[in-house]
Amino acid sequence: MSGIIDSRERVLGRIRAAARNFAAADPQPAAKDAQELAGADAAIPRRYARSGRLSAEARMALMAERLREYGAEVAVCKPEELAAAITQQIAASGRRIFVAPPGIPVAWRVEVANKIKGFECSFDHGLQIGEIEQAEGVMTAAFCGIADSGTIVLHHSASEGRRMLTLLPDWHLCILKASQVVETLPEYFDRCPQPPALVTWISGPSATADIEMTRIQGVHGPRFLNVILADDRGKEPAVH
Amino acid sequence: MSAPGGQLDDRAILDPAHAPPFPAAALTVLRDPQLRKNVAHATDVIQAKRALLVAEKTDWQELRSAASRIKEEALDHLGAYLKQFEERCTAAGGTVHWAADAAEARRIILEILREEKAEEVIKIKTMTSAEIQLNPFLEAAGIRAHETDLAEIILQLGKGEPSHIVVPALHVNRSQVREVFARRMGIEDLSDDPQALTAAARGFLRRKFLTVPMAISGANFLIAETGAVVVVESEGNGRMCLTLPRTLITLAGIEKVLPRFADLEVMLQLLARSATGERMNPYTSLWTGVRADDGPQRFHVVLLDNGRSSILARRTGRQTLKCIRCAACMNACPVYRQTGGHAYGSVYPGPIGAILTPQLEQMQHAQSLPYASSLCGACYEVCPVKINIPEVLLELRARVTDQERRQARRIFDPLYIGLRVANLLFSRAWLFHAAQWAGRIGLRFFTGKDGWIHRLPGVGAKWTQTRDLRGLPRQTFHAWWTGRRQAIGNRH
Ligand code: SF4
Repeated sequence: MSGIIDSRERVLGRIRAAARNFAAADPQPAAKDAQELAGADAAIPRRYARSGRLSAEARMALMAERLREYGAEVAVCKPEELAAAITQQIAASGRRIFVAPPGIPVAWRVEVANKIKGFECSFDHGLQIGEIEQAEGVMTAAFCGIADSGTIVLHHSASEGRRMLTLLPDWHLCILKASQVVETLPEYFDRCPQPPALVTWISGPSATADIEMTRIQGVHGPRFLNVILADDRGKEPAVH
Repeated sequence: MSAPGGQLDDRAILDPAHAPPFPAAALTVLRDPQLRKNVAHATDVIQAKRALLVAEKTDWQELRSAASRIKEEALDHLGAYLKQFEERCTAAGGTVHWAADAAEARRIILEILREEKAEEVIKIKTMTSAEIQLNPFLEAAGIRAHETDLAEIILQLGKGEPSHIVVPALHVNRSQVREVFARRMGIEDLSDDPQALTAAARGFLRRKFLTVPMAISGANFLIAETGAVVVVESEGNGRMCLTLPRTLITLAGIEKVLPRFADLEVMLQLLARSATGERMNPYTSLWTGVRADDGPQRFHVVLLDNGRSSILARRTGRQTLKCIRCAACMNACPVYRQTGGHAYGSVYPGPIGAILTPQLEQMQHAQSLPYASSLCGACYEVCPVKINIPEVLLELRARVTDQERRQARRIFDPLYIGLRVANLLFSRAWLFHAAQWAGRIGLRFFTGKDGWIHRLPGVGAKWTQTRDLRGLPRQTFHAWWTGRRQAIGNRH
């Protein structure tokens, strides 16, 4: 593989040579390695909105509105009604074969199973692709919601599941608490003191406009997105 | 229909080394009303949606400024950030390869595929792979590459070429898509309803996603701070390719690197709004190396130079590398909106293509592209990272002219003779006045009673064939001014 190692030197050498073109005029010559770059972002003008202005109530309403604009279904409930809301959504969907990540409370499954005949939910302790593909629906939590763009963020923790879990089933039920909803995208980044290793930002069900710019919902990802917003305001912030 | 026999367009050549010059290629398209209608419709729809969403964003200009600075800073220290990316990605279990040019990138990818004994590979739309002409290369090596983006399937099955970097098949209409799908997927009774066509693609690809163990993707961003890769998409075919296969290869231009994870808070607000007129695209994926229980267990990144470092060395041209490939500039461009993408003879069309392609080709090909612009500045205004495209176009025109001037055959080129004469006239006042005087007398023979020149002989006819020329006034401004000053002087 020596040819490839040479290429690394060649590319980096060309980049260094390009930087030398400006070296004389540049008070800040190109850094050689990442250590020298500490604090480089101080020079970036961040005068865009870094925080929201809405009340908690308006923020929730905006989140719901944006999600609906994407064609997602939204239900709002109190935290203690959560299991009932889940049951209701699943009953209405007509779907019975479910998968869920291991971090979803078993009590919810029990409650739904008690109310809906034929309901089955396998927890993902290493399910095979085929088993996940067979499922008609998936139920997960989320890391964060961004109201401004109606975005749901998954960091794929134990309650959010592996990536394929929210990809293969056709119907995704996502449970989001009001305390997890921020107004603007930068506020989400403020909630990530450590950059996450795995993220999926979901804004509505999968879609395409490739044929004559006609928006078609549901290409390869789930065709249906249902969101339950649990209004836990005034309670302890959700422990994730 | 753009072409008979169900071919979406078999005339487009998107290799700058072999494509005809822009004016010649554009002529073909201008004679195809269906294609022009398709392009106008698509760009109108995206532009209208974009305009609404940009208007609601009160901090749009501040976001643009921040994005522009972030990209500039990344380019200023590109070497250091790439090394940081390499180190972090490797620490997370990825393998980083460097490719100095297209041939090397193709070879690296083929080597990986051979090691994996791959016969097939699924692909997420990546313009970079089109830039290095990866698919025909893999095909020749006996590996079938399946495109999975709806637009790319349309083009691959119909043997067409992309004409836009975000909506590559925007020049194709529904009945053309229906025809191709019905024939290539073997579905007899397919309707031309986009819903039905999309469903057909879903069914067609599902098995591939579940069975093909190799995938190739591009990258929208590489994060130096963490070694993560970001892919922005709509359909979920990206998530399929990034999640289900055993091995994933990501091909990325070296300019895709962003210093920090938090820089995405700016980029993700700009990209979807500019590209598709959405507040956010349906799916954005970020992953870092490999994770034991989730996704591909072998992950390769190929960092591609292929002319980019030579662009970095140019003071004016280097801003081209800030591009985040949103396509807003082509949707806004009055030239692109008439010609569509194929006339640009490159996988990168529109204003960004007009500056990127000749530079990637190191000014050896595509020299007509810097002229494929009216310099109206619409592209600069919509560009989310504030690339001053007209400025770069002008610089490239100067470089093309310098190149041509050095060619011996230009000595007798009428254009260059004319310019040399003009140069002489404009640098000496007395010669200039004499020329004006001669011109006024000479043109009087051709000027009609209405003060317009309708027909000129010789080279001049090239102008009057298509438009009239106003005759020269009886008095020059200079003469009028001198006369006026004297008149005022006399009064005092
Ligand atoms: S040049 Fe600017 S507007 Fe054009 S594709 Fe690149 S980022 Fe978008």
